[in-house]
Amino acid sequence: MKRYDLIVVGAGPAGMSAAIEAAKHGVHVVVFDENARPGGQLFKQIHKFFGSKEHRAKIRGFVIGQELLDEAAKLGVTVELDSTVIGLYQDKEVVVKQGEQVNHYKGDAIVVATGAAENMVTFEGWTLPGVIGAGAAQTMMNLHGVRPGNRVLMLGTGNVGLVVSYQLKQAGCDVVALVDAAPHVGGYGVHAAKVARTGVPFYLSHTIKRAEGTDHVTGVTIAQVDSHFQFVPGTEKHFDVDTICVAVGLSPMSQLFKMDGCKVVDDRRKGGQVPVVDDLGQTSIPGIFAAGDVSGIEEASSAMIEGRIAGLAAASYLGFATDDEERAGVDANERALDGLRQGMFAPKNRGKKVEKTEEGIPVSQTLLERGYVADSEIERFPGVTHRVGIHPVIECTQNIPCNPCQDVCPKHCIKVGSHITALPQLEPDANCIGCGLCVASCPGQAIFLVDEKSEPGFAEVTLPYEFLPLPQKGDRGQALGRDGKPVCEAEVVGVKRTKAFDHTAIVTVKVPEDMSMRARFFKAAPATETD
Amino acid sequence: MESNVTKGTTADVPSRTADAIVVGAGIIGCATAYYLAKKGTSVIVLDACDVIGNGGSTRNGGGVRQSGRDPRELPLAMYAVKNMWPHLSDELGADVEYCQGGNLRLGKTERHIKILEGLRDKAVAQGLDMRMITGDEVRQINPYLSDEVIGASWCPTDGHANPLKATYAYYMAARRLGVRFYTGMPVTELRKVHGRVRKVVCPEATFEADSVIVCAGYASRKILASVGIDVPMSNVLIEALVTEMEPQMFPQMLGTADADFYGHQTKHGSFVFGGDSGLEDVNKDNGHDANSSITAPAICRGILRYIPKLANAKIVRTWGGYEDVCIDGVPVLGPVDEVPGLVVGCAFTGHGFGISPIVGTLLAEVARGEKTTLDLSAFRYDRFHARA
Amino acid sequence: MKDINDRTRDLGPFEPKPGDDMVVCRCEEVTQGQIRQAVHDGLFTVAEVRRYLRCGMGLCQGQTCARLVKGIMARELGVSPDELEPASSRAPMRPIEMSVFAKEGGRDGE
Repeated sequence: MKRYDLIVVGAGPAGMSAAIEAAKHGVHVVVFDENARPGGQLFKQIHKFFGSKEHRAKIRGFVIGQELLDEAAKLGVTVELDSTVIGLYQDKEVVVKQGEQVNHYKGDAIVVATGAAENMVTFEGWTLPGVIGAGAAQTMMNLHGVRPGNRVLMLGTGNVGLVVSYQLKQAGCDVVALVDAAPHVGGYGVHAAKVARTGVPFYLSHTIKRAEGTDHVTGVTIAQVDSHFQFVPGTEKHFDVDTICVAVGLSPMSQLFKMDGCKVVDDRRKGGQVPVVDDLGQTSIPGIFAAGDVSGIEEASSAMIEGRIAGLAAASYLGFATDDEERAGVDANERALDGLRQGMFAPKNRGKKVEKTEEGIPVSQTLLERGYVADSEIERFPGVTHRVGIHPVIECTQNIPCNPCQDVCPKHCIKVGSHITALPQLEPDANCIGCGLCVASCPGQAIFLVDEKSEPGFAEVTLPYEFLPLPQKGDRGQALGRDGKPVCEAEVVGVKRTKAFDHTAIVTVKVPEDMSMRARFFKAAPATETD
Repeated sequence: MESNVTKGTTADVPSRTADAIVVGAGIIGCATAYYLAKKGTSVIVLDACDVIGNGGSTRNGGGVRQSGRDPRELPLAMYAVKNMWPHLSDELGADVEYCQGGNLRLGKTERHIKILEGLRDKAVAQGLDMRMITGDEVRQINPYLSDEVIGASWCPTDGHANPLKATYAYYMAARRLGVRFYTGMPVTELRKVHGRVRKVVCPEATFEADSVIVCAGYASRKILASVGIDVPMSNVLIEALVTEMEPQMFPQMLGTADADFYGHQTKHGSFVFGGDSGLEDVNKDNGHDANSSITAPAICRGILRYIPKLANAKIVRTWGGYEDVCIDGVPVLGPVDEVPGLVVGCAFTGHGFGISPIVGTLLAEVARGEKTTLDLSAFRYDRFHARA
Repeated sequence: MKDINDRTRDLGPFEPKPGDDMVVCRCEEVTQGQIRQAVHDGLFTVAEVRRYLRCGMGLCQGQTCARLVKGIMARELGVSPDELEPASSRAPMRPIEMSVFAKEGGRDGE
């Protein structure tokens, strides 16, 4: 039987990272993946990642995916695609469907990094064509270039629901509403805010009552729910839609562990059934490791670190890495992982309602309930200040582990500090040159350049813009507020794209002076017909 | 079967005495409890596992066959097919998917035909309608079978049922009659009181009854040892698989002279097949009923040699289960004279499902001290002797 | 004793609820009402309900409905979903054609 030092199941961020780390130590590795392309979910992630440099922050997911593949190739890792692992058997044997046959392989160690699958909820009509998972929508858009629908309602305000709603807008879909049965937005506030400012209404404490249609979705009715998740009569709202996207969480795909006899537990905080692992990701069967979402739902960034730890631990288990190398590597990675697991959205805070930021500032309730920070709330956050001349306004209001703004500013105007979850603020002596790097680099698109009085009676606001068609200098339209509602007329006075912006354009609009702290999005006037 | 971690423990065992205690909530235990309760006997059923019917009862191929049975067992099978299976769904108030589609035991070589003729001769001697048919006749009955099949034995009164439905139908019917089932309740010991079996000891509670019926598969061996009784059997892991739903193709139960696979198409449309790799006697397992990596492919090869049309049928699940294989190939059934009040029903050797209705009836009769419908003397617990 | 192990528990008469006709397991078309009824009839574990109704036994092997079935059962039983042991996982992880499963690399000198 064909034998490898290490078999990795799943070529996503965790699996590839494990393979790379092990191969660096000379381990002979094969990675099996059922898909035709490696990279797992990374190639669907067209947004910029959070974190710091070591987490590859501000790099788009698919770029990270390509980097992993290149690195693995350089190290001689074999990635076998269209290779479905159908079972993990005794003695670390893996049976793989490849082509029109099954092949048996043994590994002296195994890393299972099979990721997660989307959860579903039931409501009347949930089996109608047109009700799809948010991940499925993302695959259609970002891998296959197919728009999942024209008018879409999104159920779920976790990061997946928020990010995919934004991407649906980018793909040209009309997102009619974001709905969540929970009373508060589940994902990062900045992700919510960038959707809300485009005009998508949020309905918290609401859920889908029914999907309408006979052979496909033609509409949806939502209604408010009480604290026991029971519908409140008379609160129904109808939307004409052709697509309902469901983003209600992920479940680890831990079946391989279970069938092999590894100890598993049902852990709601981790998203479902997960293998019991030690701090290196090793399961109850020595030499079998878990990494990434399969051992608990988190982010791709943490999956990559978990993968590195498991790969290193496997290398050590197989005698390719010394105990000292293992310890040093694991310690460094654990620090990185620890960095990601800080802040309001840390695993330990899951399900808790955080009332105040680490700085003691009351969290924006409007952000939690409607997806945007109200004009009356925004001024209390440290990144929002008034200066003479152009300066960044940093609308980052929740403690999340992210600091590219600090690194990217050539003038070092922005400070997060050594504590990565601290809210960014403007240095008192900031000398902003208006380059826009902070605007384009912020993964949350929460930074704006504001010149509160660019000329008498007018202000200029520079905002990140990732939609097509790009506005042109001279275009007129409306400025939208944080809530997505028009606040004033606006004229585009500048559009800038550079390589360093990595496909995020920055658009400068001229607005009345009193709108400098309210105008946060630009909506072009509809093209007028000409004869 | 393994017992799960105890959590959510709140309740005490509400009642601990009954006329009869059945140890083992497989189909035999559930059927026995049902027939006892039907006659007014109060019954408690205990099972080590949290899950009812978690042993062979819900893992077998569903054959309801008389052909190919040991002559000692054949009368039981014939009785069940004639008098019980046809009415079982009505009796239990749930569809057990009984289908009397006949049994084809297929042969491809002269050696196979010889084996089949031997089986036929034994069956016919006891009055079963079982005959040899040619390859062409086989394909008239089942046009999906390969041209390589040169003959078969044919028993038109055999068939199949759904073992999962039948097991839970017995359980639910017994429960409706007031039978008290406690799961996650492993029996560690039987104790005599005044010379009769009386106490059934579990870690959480001790139960008492006038008679105790042990039908706990291979686990019976250890339980019976506590009162000095041994049933010479082994625990053999065998495997099965099921396909996705397919259009209805044929109603027969299929087997082969070489016994390389057996199975049928269910009412639902899926095909359920069992079989072996040939290495079962030395299979190792890591403590749970895991499949081996080689058996399902071997079963598939076996099937496709006979039913090539199934090449594209998708397998959705494979599973394993243990057979309590008796040293002489038939079960131990009936009273244990040395331990008054004790009744045994185990060592079914992989063919207990088809006879479960009559076995349940007979064990209930024994426990109640009634004259049994059929003679059980061939199944006595003390029939095993060393060679002279 | 765990609540689910006392099969003498009477859950009261089965009363239809809104949504009972809603399909929960799409692969095998099992409804919420069927699952609730099965629990009332004494099937207190996920394994039993799956085996009796086939929910989670189809093409996706419960990837979609396992959590939903568990939730419905837990509500009916009045226990936390955590108390219900999920069903066992079995090969194949993805449906596989019989002809493909039958052909093992390396068997024919490959």
